[in-house]
Amino acid sequence: MQDRTWGAAARWLPTCWALVLAVLMLGGALGRGFVLTYDMVWVPDLSLGLDALGLGTALPRAVPSDAVVAVLDEVVPGEVLQKLVLLGALVSAGSGAAALCGRGTVARLVAATVFVWNPFVVERLAIGHWPVLVGYGVLPWVLLAGATWRRTGWLPARLAVLLLVGSLSATTGLVTAVAVVAAAAERSRRRWVGLAVLVGAANAPWVASGLLHAGEATSSAVGADVFAPSSREGLLPAPLHFLTLGGVWNAESVPGSRTGVLAVGLTILLVLLAAVALRRGWSSVPVLLRTPLLVCWSVGMVLVVATWALPDATGRLAGTVPGGGLLRDGARMLALAAPLTAVLAGRGADAVVRVFPDTASRTMVALGCVLAPVALMPDAALGLSGRLAAVDYTASYEGAVEALATLPPGDVVLLPFQSYRAPSWNGGRPVLDPLGRYLGRHVVVEDQLVVDGETLAGEDPRAAEVRDGLAAPTPEARAEALRAAGVRLVVVEDVDRVEVPEVAGDTVGEYGELRVVDVGPGAAPPQPTGAWVTAMAVAWAAWASLLLVGMVRLRRARRSNFAQ
Amino acid sequence: MNNLVTPVVSCVVGGVLAVATLMGVIANQTSAPEQSPGTIDSPEFSYGATIE
Repeated sequence: MQDRTWGAAARWLPTCWALVLAVLMLGGALGRGFVLTYDMVWVPDLSLGLDALGLGTALPRAVPSDAVVAVLDEVVPGEVLQKLVLLGALVSAGSGAAALCGRGTVARLVAATVFVWNPFVVERLAIGHWPVLVGYGVLPWVLLAGATWRRTGWLPARLAVLLLVGSLSATTGLVTAVAVVAAAAERSRRRWVGLAVLVGAANAPWVASGLLHAGEATSSAVGADVFAPSSREGLLPAPLHFLTLGGVWNAESVPGSRTGVLAVGLTILLVLLAAVALRRGWSSVPVLLRTPLLVCWSVGMVLVVATWALPDATGRLAGTVPGGGLLRDGARMLALAAPLTAVLAGRGADAVVRVFPDTASRTMVALGCVLAPVALMPDAALGLSGRLAAVDYTASYEGAVEALATLPPGDVVLLPFQSYRAPSWNGGRPVLDPLGRYLGRHVVVEDQLVVDGETLAGEDPRAAEVRDGLAAPTPEARAEALRAAGVRLVVVEDVDRVEVPEVAGDTVGEYGELRVVDVGPGAAPPQPTGAWVTAMAVAWAAWASLLLVGMVRLRRARRSNFAQ
Repeated sequence: MNNLVTPVVSCVVGGVLAVATLMGVIANQTSAPEQSPGTIDSPEFSYGATIE
């Protein structure tokens, strides 16, 4: 009886531990308000506009993630949904890594710690790549479900839903696709067709939208160099820091502890544990998972090292081949290396613990192994040392939204015409201008990026049209150019030390630091053609059918289990 | 022998964890601010900076 109780507790222990780690890491992000950091912009009510559906003029960078959020926040408030997504991703990641590891409480707990508390998770949280983290969270479960499919020959009901959740953006869709193919592929045409259908349907929205934008789907070649995995993190040169899953291009997203001797300590620890695991713990890794884990690690590392070592080649690819820009931020592919890293750490720790003769020593060493990743990156705690503190939007935002609801229809432009802001109410932390999502109207946003003081070219032709229009010599000429571009309203934000070009028009409202200007009626905003709408409708139908099939099969499987 | 192993292991594990945590906290508290005077005065909002 006692054994059974301990067995049940041991089964849930990694999930509970992952929850503790997730709460500790997110810290202030779980408080009242929204977490706004770099690319992570959540608003109270995201509208389901053309861009979210992949029908806008900009490249589909937030397809299908924005559409999913726009639908879900009709049921759950955006503020709560963001916390559920972040917490759920980390808990799922930790418990999934434990499940990959095989038997042994120590191994499972260490794997959970390494999979949650590592530079990849911290850096992606800091830079706000939440769809990547959601994909990362389901990655172990995709591997497990894929392995089950290969073992039983029956498609697990949960795999369809996992693929959808793991494909909320283009890059994470590729990661998930590699994982499911590595885990489930076998020499059978039927299996390959099944995999192609599943992966194709899960990624259909962004693939279809990307193909429709093929004309402008090439990216700045310079960006490939800038966004290449970093060649150094503190004392660690590449590719050594890739081994511990660090390597984001943006130095501002790297925690302080990664720049000192602690990062070296973490590297040594993980390499030693992996060496021990390969010698004495590999046989404890479930047989069906060994090859998929190795394949994922190899593919991830090859892509990361290639984009780091050959930025010019990546640049040429991004600059000439539509969709080649997907490989720009190559360090995102480190997600594929994480499952094997965590499993080897877990199995290595398990083997080390068994060396000690008495229970007390084993317990101490086990605790040390479980806590070491946290101790070696302590500034990841408490919302990355406060960087993820949730904030409330200013009242002026709500005022602008209410005003816009009563104004004539038409697209909006935000001034200053820049992609990012660093609002004081957000602690001066950089964030993609939240107004673009907050206003609930179609907003033409600047897609040029400034990195190291250098401007990287954007891809949206409409943004270029507005940029050119704002460069006109007089306020009247700017207003005329905006009207010709299908823009009706301009929301001017008063930002300290930033001058904006004056645009002629009627000021129809002032709300704190925001001023709304009506430039008058002009050309109709461009609308997608019938062919585009049809193509995207088919893509979304394929995506939705996978969701439907997955949910129905999941329900049937649960009923069947319940009946047994 | 076992009586000796446990306290030694405890001291080593506890010591390493404590030193590592302390070093991390110090490194974090003494690292350069995210916004340097150079970036604060810049009229462009930067998406980030590479490491070199």
